[in-house]
Amino acid sequence: MEFVTNLILASVRMATPLIFLSLAELYSQRAGLVHIGLEGLAAIGSLTGFLVSHITGSPLMGVCAGAMVAVLVNMIYAYATVTLCAEQIVYGMAINIFAPALASFIYRVYFGAGSELVQVSQMSSLSALLKVNTDSFIAKLFLEQTLMVYLAYGLVIFTAIYFNKTKSGLNYKAVGEYPKAAATLGINVIGVKYIASVICGALAGIGGAYLTTCYTTTYVDGNVAGRGFIALAAVIFGRWNAGGVLLACLFFGFCDALQIRLQVASFNVPYQFFQMIPYVATVVVLAIIGMKKAGPKSCGKPYRKEER
Amino acid sequence: MKNTNKIVNVMVPVISIVLAFAIGCIIIAVLGANPITALQALWKGAFGSARNLGTTLSRATPLIFTGLCACFAYRCGVFNLGGEGQFIMGAVVCCVIGTQFNIEGLPAIILCLVAGTIAGGLWAMIPGVLKVYRGQNEMIISIMLNYVATLFMGVLFTNWMRDGSVPQTVAVPDASKLTRLFGLRVTTAFIIAVVVGLLVYYFLFFTSKGFQLRAVGYNMTAAQFNGFAVKKYFLGSFLVSGMIAGLGGSADILGTQFFLINGYAAGYGFDGVSMALIGQLHPLATMLVAIFFAALRVGSTTMQAATGVPTSVSDIIQALVIVFTVAGLAMVKLPEFKAFLNRLIPRKEVA
Amino acid sequence: MKKLFAMILVIAMAFSLVACAAPVAEEAPAAEDNAAEEAAPAEEGKVYKVAMICDSSISDGGWGMACYNAMIDAAAKYGWETAYSDSIDQSAYFDTIDSYCSLGYDMIYAPGNQYTDAVLQAAEEYPEIAFALLNGAEGTPAKAVNGNVSSLLPNATEIGWIAGALAGLMTETGTIAFIGGMELDTTKGKYEGFKEAAAYTAEQAGKTATTLDIVYSNSFSASDKGIEFAKAMIDQGADVFFGDASAVDSGARQAIDEHNAAQGKVTVYDIAQPSDLLGQNECIICSQVTDNSSLVGLCMEAVEAGKLGGDVIYGTMANGALSAGAISDLVPEDVQAKYLEYVDQMKAGTFMQ
Repeated sequence: MEFVTNLILASVRMATPLIFLSLAELYSQRAGLVHIGLEGLAAIGSLTGFLVSHITGSPLMGVCAGAMVAVLVNMIYAYATVTLCAEQIVYGMAINIFAPALASFIYRVYFGAGSELVQVSQMSSLSALLKVNTDSFIAKLFLEQTLMVYLAYGLVIFTAIYFNKTKSGLNYKAVGEYPKAAATLGINVIGVKYIASVICGALAGIGGAYLTTCYTTTYVDGNVAGRGFIALAAVIFGRWNAGGVLLACLFFGFCDALQIRLQVASFNVPYQFFQMIPYVATVVVLAIIGMKKAGPKSCGKPYRKEER
Repeated sequence: MKNTNKIVNVMVPVISIVLAFAIGCIIIAVLGANPITALQALWKGAFGSARNLGTTLSRATPLIFTGLCACFAYRCGVFNLGGEGQFIMGAVVCCVIGTQFNIEGLPAIILCLVAGTIAGGLWAMIPGVLKVYRGQNEMIISIMLNYVATLFMGVLFTNWMRDGSVPQTVAVPDASKLTRLFGLRVTTAFIIAVVVGLLVYYFLFFTSKGFQLRAVGYNMTAAQFNGFAVKKYFLGSFLVSGMIAGLGGSADILGTQFFLINGYAAGYGFDGVSMALIGQLHPLATMLVAIFFAALRVGSTTMQAATGVPTSVSDIIQALVIVFTVAGLAMVKLPEFKAFLNRLIPRKEVA
Repeated sequence: MKKLFAMILVIAMAFSLVACAAPVAEEAPAAEDNAAEEAAPAEEGKVYKVAMICDSSISDGGWGMACYNAMIDAAAKYGWETAYSDSIDQSAYFDTIDSYCSLGYDMIYAPGNQYTDAVLQAAEEYPEIAFALLNGAEGTPAKAVNGNVSSLLPNATEIGWIAGALAGLMTETGTIAFIGGMELDTTKGKYEGFKEAAAYTAEQAGKTATTLDIVYSNSFSASDKGIEFAKAMIDQGADVFFGDASAVDSGARQAIDEHNAAQGKVTVYDIAQPSDLLGQNECIICSQVTDNSSLVGLCMEAVEAGKLGGDVIYGTMANGALSAGAISDLVPEDVQAKYLEYVDQMKAGTFMQ
């Protein structure tokens, strides 16, 4: 029993950064922008979050700064793909090369060749703020979490309502499905795409900053460790719906947590097979659902105002 | 007009490289080092001696393969981002055959290269088939398959084929290794890469099949209208581009790597795509760009040691070249830019 | 108008990227200081140069940091110039070594058994350069055709003993844990030593200590994996940790500290290595200390004397290269006394006899 409850707690812990990143991807794709550069945005967000919370001593400031810097970097992507109509996936890849190099460089320059382990304080959990006892599993699951975790789940609920129940959300989706029709209805397609990029950058930056302000106390190069791509998989696996994306993230988090625990329990199946699950699942889902239902229709296509 | 287009297309990467280096120099200067010394060290590290040149070319070899892989697929309008996975699958199959079957020498080399080539091609057929028959986005699928291939390679070197005290596989026997050229680190794998590049160039630009393939890539609807079997071209170009990457993987195992190890081939696929794009999807230009990037990488360590500038400066320069070139190429395709160019050129002629 | 538009495009593009690079500008002074510090004093005669490669970060608060400091200390003593490349991929070991060799470095310092193949390959190509392989195997120097490779070999079993003896005395639950980085022979040796010493001292104290099976993070930098491993192992009842995985160890310590904070008192302990890290984390009760700098120093001395390698330089408790670091107040005084007794036995070679 304890094994199961601990496994659930670990799954939730490991799913949280994925939720931020996949929501970032969802907002981007819903506006017709496929973004494979989340890995890079999260890397720069993670470094900024670490640096700012190191300087100010406030993890919350770190998260905000991480979000802002990731938005700035994502503006390069937005400008190139929306205004210059560059190929989105290729440009996302360019961001993936550029942003982590920048992050690694800034860390190296700021902390110099010093060989001291730099640690920052972490965001405290709700239970610590409220000073409640968290002995039971339920209390651990619902109270012993940082504010960021509640923010993640709140955002999922908000996103689900926004895209399905509000006029503005439907307009937003229209940009990703039929941009030309949306334009004739008076929707500012370019504007929505830029807004999407701001949201995407902010969420990806928060996801990255979560890693250094709420998860580990240190920064190491490459700490995003493929989460950006797993988030991309989660959006596809979750069929471009906030609820589905949440379930996909929890499932992928569960696979990762299980993998670690099975290793501790000396279970002799190569752990890589568990790590493959998100990627294989995505390919299988795409193969099964076929083209018609595969996400926003204009995804990946550039939009030009006066197309000939 | 055609000529100006060509000039513009060549100018974009050149200007991008100059801009990227300019920014790199500013960063170096801000760090308190002399940019000229740093760049000299970079140059010396990459091309300063025969030995360094050999290292640069050997480092360029896998990049040439993945670059050509991307180049070939893109020419047909399919975006194969799976060069890395196909490269790895080629390397994996080559390593299994080269180390587990008790064969060595020339027959082993030929068998390994052929098997690796086929493995790469087959791995590329997965996104190919899913694109053609299920209408799926081949880029996303090929990215996912890169991860699957990397993790599968991980199973081999940590478990199934692990050798000794370190997580890596057995090395291929000495007799199956490719020969070095002039005693430098560069091996015959580089020659194979150049030959493949020339073949791709010949096929794309001097054969009717190649012309049709480019026509499909240039305008799929028109090609379909003209009765080209578009699906066949799509599948074919996936197969061939995967085979190029697979051959690259196996040649790299036999040439310089010898065994599978953690982190092997990481980033080669995306590097190849960037190189193909910067090289304007021209096979020969792609090879040159691959050598340029390899030089940046080899030289950056020398630069770090000579000036104390971290190697990530070189990473940033590389990334900026890609960031500028891709944006620049998109920009010159904008109708606004074309109109601007049209107005600019006649005026110059008058003057 | 259109011309202006295009101009703006270009300027905006350039500006946006310069803007990204701008934060860097503020950090310049720090970098300069460092450069100044690192510059070696100009001396008469030849200034020798040593370069270190490392797959973890030199600021990982563990292995990488200790090995880097060992090189710096030894270099300061002998007046050598230093350079390093850290966080390099496993597949880039050789290329990085090769770059330093072609730059005319006199010695390459590779702290880890995992560099063996790359070092041997480079040693064959550069017969005039010395290679010091920390944790290299006993047979490695003999494998180098040019005789220019030395193994610096701290005794892995004794390292395990130093940690294990205390772990056996301190465990309350009877379960202790070890987190490995890569499945290396030295790591296995440390694990075995840890296990047997803990079982022995616990038995002497009238209790039992079982060590959980070793787990490997397969990376020296994934501190998040360290967190998850440690949490999973605490759930299995482990209450004393030892590890051999640099930044992963830091992650594990973070998880242990969090667990202790939630309990309100320190019930789970960690033993650090390879330098004295007492005080870095609350949970650290002691450190196993390896004086790598004296081993590296011996290599430097040999190189200056014109001998490039071929030796196995052992680091043992008897010759002082291995020792136990300061002990925290969390360890009761009688246990401290008992532990120091065991440490003396190890030095004298009578431990577990």
